[in-house]
Amino acid sequence: MGYAMKTYLKLAWRNIWRNKRRTMITISAIVFAVMIAIIMQSVNRGSYEVMIDRMVSFNTGYVQIQDYRYKEESSLDNSFRYDDELREKVLNSDSRIDHIAPRIETFMLAANHMSTRGSIVFGKNPEKEKQFNDIENYLTEGRLFEMNEESAVIARGLANRLQLSVSDTLVLIGQGRFGMSASGLFEIVGILDHPVRQLNDNGVFMALDTAQYLLSADGYITGLIIAPRQERQTTAVASSLTDDLDGMELAVYTWPELLPELLELMEMDLATPRLLTFVLYVVIGFGFLGTILTMTLERMKEFGILLSVGMQRLKLAMVLFIEMLFISILGVVIGMAAAWLILVLIDPIVLTGDAAQAVIDMGYDPIIPMSFAADQFYRQGLFVFLIAVAVFIFPLLKISRLNILDAARA
Amino acid sequence: MAIVQTKNLSKVYNPDTVPVHALRDVSISIEKGEFTSIVGPSGSGKTTLLNMLGGLDKPSSGSVWVNGKEITSMKESDLIDFRLYNIGFVFQHYNLIPVFTAHENVSFIMLLQNRSKKEIKERADELLEEVGLGDRKNARPVEMSGGQQQRVAVARALASEPKFILADEPTANLDSTSAMNLLDIMSRMNREQNVTFVFSTHDQRVIDRARRVITMVDGAIHKDEYQNVEETKTG
Ligand SMILES: Nc1ncnc2c1ncn2[C@@H]1O[C@H](COP(=O)(O)OP(=O)(O)OP(=O)(O)O)[C@@H](O)[C@H]1O
Ligand SMILES: [Mg+2]
Repeated sequence: MGYAMKTYLKLAWRNIWRNKRRTMITISAIVFAVMIAIIMQSVNRGSYEVMIDRMVSFNTGYVQIQDYRYKEESSLDNSFRYDDELREKVLNSDSRIDHIAPRIETFMLAANHMSTRGSIVFGKNPEKEKQFNDIENYLTEGRLFEMNEESAVIARGLANRLQLSVSDTLVLIGQGRFGMSASGLFEIVGILDHPVRQLNDNGVFMALDTAQYLLSADGYITGLIIAPRQERQTTAVASSLTDDLDGMELAVYTWPELLPELLELMEMDLATPRLLTFVLYVVIGFGFLGTILTMTLERMKEFGILLSVGMQRLKLAMVLFIEMLFISILGVVIGMAAAWLILVLIDPIVLTGDAAQAVIDMGYDPIIPMSFAADQFYRQGLFVFLIAVAVFIFPLLKISRLNILDAARA
Repeated sequence: MAIVQTKNLSKVYNPDTVPVHALRDVSISIEKGEFTSIVGPSGSGKTTLLNMLGGLDKPSSGSVWVNGKEITSMKESDLIDFRLYNIGFVFQHYNLIPVFTAHENVSFIMLLQNRSKKEIKERADELLEEVGLGDRKNARPVEMSGGQQQRVAVARALASEPKFILADEPTANLDSTSAMNLLDIMSRMNREQNVTFVFSTHDQRVIDRARRVITMVDGAIHKDEYQNVEETKTG
């Protein structure tokens, strides 16, 4: 850094401490706003992040390949052939792909000896699925199915409704590919407390080849789920796949496309804290404006002298802007640190009593984890910076209109 | 060639309401190395004239020439740069940047001139030494007496190596010892380094130290005379 810049920084830094109390109050206000904004968003987003993480790892995957018609009409008729050739093609498409797993999924009626329930039947390759999640940890009874086995694992909710337990027989009735009738009897080998609420209500899981046979869909799957090495590579991986699978009647989706309702819900829930944050920042903005205006007005004489001896207005404005930046940066950094500290201390919020029960009834854990997503933090910094820039218009006008003689006489 | 010169300079304040003729047809010429005081009763136009010479105010008519350049028609940002390199200022008060030390205040103007760090430091040291503040380099304005502050202001004015230095009542806020001390420094700089000073004052003892005295009355030059000065040294 040049000597001149250092001097301007020094000048600005000392200037902000000319009125210590006022500067402290302004910084405190920014700290407060940044802190509240971050904590509010963090608490809100934390619960959604858990939900999304579960949905992605236990359900949709980060990237998924489907027949291009499947999204419109989720029927087995819109399944696609999955063979070694396609597998190689997908695996070679992008080096950032870590692992893949084929799945078949369809709606069927599940029954015990007297009643039936709607269910979603999944055919999976247990070895492949292991790479995506630790679903076996959610088994409350029994074991997972194996390939080539006429067995099924059912979700806790479904088991309760049909009053089924391990070693009972599950009846599945439905339709296979192209209207072929599909029904079969399966031994229940395990019961799963599925972390995705909807699947816990109606999920039935069996080996991929068993399901394909049941559904007259040998060699066919409804979805190929793909995990990139890192979450942030999702879009890149999806776009290489899209390029490579061009012309094959297949479509590539990323998880936000597969879970639009969840994202919408999250956006809606974030609307309130965002509005509050906005109001908070408007208040802070006016406080900031007051400070910077007095900082300007009470120094008009000094500014007049600086202009007289040869300092350009632009340089004067720059020093004042640096002063604002210092105040903003201090406020933002301290605010972020304070928010982070508080979040670490309260994370996760464990609900108790009625509140906990209410949340459990809605199908969620009574635990609200905090989100530490980086964008929540730097976004507040950006807001404060934008406010500083907006507020700076006023002192800038003052300086550009400052009349040397009037200032010196004042 | 004159360092600073005015031709038929007039200034009328509030021409449309209650006109005040602050300057009437003032033509003066100041040569390099002169030590000039502008005197006259309150309201006679001293400050107005000095402001014109420094390019801080625009005349109603007439022109101001500094070092052969007409400055009243210059555009503001050029004029600011022009002042930076050509004119030194010492004001009656609030001269200094309060958060800067004496040394930093003197350095700052050279920094605006983009001089090298080494040169700035050495020259600021030297100038503070010359105005007798070698031991107060790191004091801030609030930690200095009025006289010391004015001496820093003189050092600052000298630092930019201007063609001339303007000082509007530089001693008005000082006790007489400090005032004489400041005058000593100014006249020594004038004698030894041929620095041109133009200053206004009410103080007879200060007037006695000037070699040229321009007396103003009612916005016009009433008298312009040279006097002999005995070089005395005070405290
Ligand atoms: N901005 C202004 N608007 C109107 N009139 C002004 C303005 N500035 C100065 N004047 C008038 O111009 C005249 C000259 O003022 P000036 O300040 O130059 O006098 P001065 O000799 O410096 O006085 P003093 O010794 O009190 O400092 C005075 O009548 C003053 O009232
Ligand atoms: Mg005056």
